[in-house]
Amino acid sequence: MELSHASISPLHTAALRRRALSNALWYALLILIAAGMVLPFLWMFLTSFKGPNDVIFSVPPQLIPKDPTFANYVRVWNNLPLPNFFLNSIVVAGTTVIFNVLITSLAAYPFAKMKFRGRDAIFYGLLALYIVPVQLTYIPSYVLAVKVFHYYNHISALIFPSLANVFNIFLMRQAFKSVPDDLIDAGRVDGASELRIWWDILLPVVRPSLATVAIITFVNQWNDFLWPSLMLQSMDRKTLTVGLLALQGMFSSDFRGVAAGVTMTVIPILVFFVALQKYFVRGLTGAVKG
Amino acid sequence: MPRKSALTPYLFLAPALIAIAVFVLYPIFAVVYYSFTDFDISTPPVWVGLKNYQHLFSEPLFGQALLHSFIYLIATPILIILSIALAIIVNRKLPGINFFRGLYYIPAISGSIAVGIIWRWLFDAQGGLLNGVLMWLGAIKEPVQWLTEPALTLPIAISLTVWMGVGYYMMVFLAGLQNIPEDLYDAAMIDGCNSWQKHLHVSIPGLRPQITLVAVISSLAAIEVYNEILVLFGQLGGILNSGVTMVFYLWREAFRLNHAGYASAIAIVLLVITLGFSILNMRLLERGSESD
Repeated sequence: MELSHASISPLHTAALRRRALSNALWYALLILIAAGMVLPFLWMFLTSFKGPNDVIFSVPPQLIPKDPTFANYVRVWNNLPLPNFFLNSIVVAGTTVIFNVLITSLAAYPFAKMKFRGRDAIFYGLLALYIVPVQLTYIPSYVLAVKVFHYYNHISALIFPSLANVFNIFLMRQAFKSVPDDLIDAGRVDGASELRIWWDILLPVVRPSLATVAIITFVNQWNDFLWPSLMLQSMDRKTLTVGLLALQGMFSSDFRGVAAGVTMTVIPILVFFVALQKYFVRGLTGAVKG
Repeated sequence: MPRKSALTPYLFLAPALIAIAVFVLYPIFAVVYYSFTDFDISTPPVWVGLKNYQHLFSEPLFGQALLHSFIYLIATPILIILSIALAIIVNRKLPGINFFRGLYYIPAISGSIAVGIIWRWLFDAQGGLLNGVLMWLGAIKEPVQWLTEPALTLPIAISLTVWMGVGYYMMVFLAGLQNIPEDLYDAAMIDGCNSWQKHLHVSIPGLRPQITLVAVISSLAAIEVYNEILVLFGQLGGILNSGVTMVFYLWREAFRLNHAGYASAIAIVLLVITLGFSILNMRLLERGSESD
């Protein structure tokens, strides 16, 4: 016992040392990659505090401001309605999420749990529509916005075309399919209406899938750019992505200003992400399994 | 039972089907019609038959846009390889590994416009960090005009797509890796695989569903790329149209030059290409699920 312990020990420390070395190398690799992913953001962040006496370009590059100032933030804040950009993005993404989640999960219920004429035909028809590139719809949607719905230059132009989408119906259908029929039958025996069954029995059970759909929808709407840029003309009606491009145009030779503007928009997104990280990751993996 | 009326399922479907009919189905028919007309959005379309298509196939710029979109597909294999490598790297159980995963995800969540603006300034000839670093290292003597060199337009845009996408796809592959049973790796070790071969023979086949998914998503995104081009190279789409892709071309013709009829013909070609892609992808998906 004593002997074997003594003979294992040096081997054991050698293994430990090898492991420590390999971990150190692994961390070095992780930090190197992190530098590649984060350095551009860090550069942008630090530049946003550079004063007029700090150079933007130098050899070797100067990252840390020597003459730090908030003036760039003040300048951008005074020239662009950033609170409006944020508010518009939040309203568009939030409203879309609420309506889209309700409408697509409403539609998913009969596809998953009811038998009716034309069910498969309608479902496969929808799946076929899924492959239509969204950019194809922009010209007719533009005509509709101007001539039929009269919401050109208004944020509802961003909400209405996103009220329902095939992908979310598909995800919710998968979620409802995994709910046991007994639960629904129990509700039916109790005399609940189908609407009650959907709201009181099904939706609470599939809450993780609802969160997935909500997050995917929110992020897609938040980052959408081309359609909003076609619809929103007045400065105070722009969403964040469209407003950011306006910032880039307005401050085209003022990198300190651009840096301040981008920093102000990216930081809230990062905070939001850190707060909801768990759901983001689950949303992603959920989408893959669906 | 009166409440179980035959109408119920259709009532549940109605809101979604109406929205999709108005904003997807109707636009498809409308765009097919517009593609046979002279149309500038403000005045009513005028039937011109096949004129737009004839114009399309005799226009060198259309061929260029098509070529650029297909060149952009190179982003897909790069993304798959890099994000699998990244997923394997962050799959190691180390203290603080979640922190690193979070860091790698930052470009993916910041939004293509914010990230694109950062990228544009990184490559700026006068103020860019890239020229500063390269001159400091002695790799170049004069600042390089990265953004006005036509041959570099697509590579720079693709590098942005990859930088933004790699963290996102890493998460997808990481979830896949964590579903692979540990004993498959143990078996591979017993069979004498080193850690490289272990990933080649266990990880890659195990990630097959994720690889198919990422290939589908990222190749469709590549064919439909627009944001990266606009934010990096502005409304001209790069010097000598070097960054004009299918969607960029469609956007410019429809909404900058008011050639909505002609742009509709471009949209139809885009539809045909994505259709072809989807059929190809479905074949791959079917083959993927057969082996499961």
